[in-house]
Amino acid sequence: MTRVSYYPGCSLEGMANDYARSIEAVFEDLGITLVEIEDWSCCGSTAAHSLSEMMSVALPARNLAAAEKLGLDIVSPCAMCFNRLRFSQNMLQKGLFDVPWTVSGDLRVHDMTRFLAEPDMLRKIQKRIIRPLKGLRLVCYYGCQMVRPPKITGYRDYENPQTLDRLTRAVGADVIDWSYKATCCGASIGIGRKDIQTTLTERILLKAVQTGAEAVVVACALCQSNLDIFQHNHPEIALPVFYFTELLRLAFAAETKARWFKKHFVDPVPLLARKGLIV
Amino acid sequence: MQAHQPADTETHSQSSLPTERKVIGDRGDFFLKRVQGEAGVNVTACYQCERCTNACPASAFMDIKPHQVIRYVQLGWREELMHSTTIWVCLSCEMCTTYCPNMVDVAETINYLRNMAAHSAIVPRERHLAVFHQTFLEQLHKFGRVNEFWLMNAFNLKPDILKEKIQSGALREELLLGLALIKKGKLNFIPRRSRAIRQIDEIYRRRRGDIV
Repeated sequence: MTRVSYYPGCSLEGMANDYARSIEAVFEDLGITLVEIEDWSCCGSTAAHSLSEMMSVALPARNLAAAEKLGLDIVSPCAMCFNRLRFSQNMLQKGLFDVPWTVSGDLRVHDMTRFLAEPDMLRKIQKRIIRPLKGLRLVCYYGCQMVRPPKITGYRDYENPQTLDRLTRAVGADVIDWSYKATCCGASIGIGRKDIQTTLTERILLKAVQTGAEAVVVACALCQSNLDIFQHNHPEIALPVFYFTELLRLAFAAETKARWFKKHFVDPVPLLARKGLIV
Repeated sequence: MQAHQPADTETHSQSSLPTERKVIGDRGDFFLKRVQGEAGVNVTACYQCERCTNACPASAFMDIKPHQVIRYVQLGWREELMHSTTIWVCLSCEMCTTYCPNMVDVAETINYLRNMAAHSAIVPRERHLAVFHQTFLEQLHKFGRVNEFWLMNAFNLKPDILKEKIQSGALREELLLGLALIKKGKLNFIPRRSRAIRQIDEIYRRRRGDIV
């Protein structure tokens, strides 16, 4: 049985609790034990690196040290957490900062999509499928922090990342190629400059519609809420925004209703019912 | 476009800076050397191809475009950069850095400038964004983790934020969204705490320069 240390991040306790629940279900299905890092704390996100570089190294370092005590590689579902953990590890390995904990940097920090898109994991996933998501036309949206900067994240195909594509294709969905895979959705800038955020989010959604997608797949809590909440005020777009784990769970599960779909602003149930995936 | 901006930000705009100083080569290379040394960015490698600006999703909202930021650093025009919207509008999406043909880390440069502005006496051009970052770190200090509901409340209670949000109509929108989020069960009213709060406090004391 595979064991990994799990760093959920603050969003998964709040706005993205549906993401958290689908992750737990999927990992249970796959027989992988998620060991939550003890007393994990926030990675500092954009605020820490914007105001003090030292904080942006020290805050994730505490979690890295706690995970090293467990001795298990870290899997992070949140793009920003993943990026900050890797950044901190990188800066400490270069010997540029001192932190009060010993961080050797031996542990691997995975983002959840790449961890699951490894060939043997994909085989495991394919074995579990009960209900292939046939006929569901999707575009995969990666956002920025998961793939960039490549020297931190380790993505070689940062222009056209494939991890989400491989995963959603593995569960039988039709994945469409498109050009806005890794364009920024505006992140948390909506707090102070709503105009910038709506411009960027709208651009991505309209492109997805133009591509002919019926839904968007994401792996980031903030991307999901930005793309989903934008449509709260623009119901004419009506493009459901799924976490990739929700789709995996849909393909794995024998029962045909998923409670967490109610948490979405754009209700995906009509689309899934039309495709015969939910009764 | 700047609906959420208080009217008095004009006093901090570029136009209020002395213009006669804008002579190329009059500032020496002190600032350039500092940025290159501290941020570790090879600023001098830039040949102004503007690929960073073209890749940037937010460049339309910036007063000094990313390629100009690099040029300003080369010229030592520090004050213009500190007073710019650019350093706060930048989303750190790393497009510029990724696509620079000369491997100039533009995003790191802008982040370094933002760090510098945060520690200066200058009132940030995008005050809401700067105050939000500050509130985020305060909440993190308090709980060890960040709860969206408490974060937004704490942010709204910062000086003038609520007043400006009421004036621009942003507050009404926010309350409606908050209600919708509550209905969806997406907000957690009780913040979760990390038990490592003492270790986190130690990081904060180090940040202040205390000898722990």
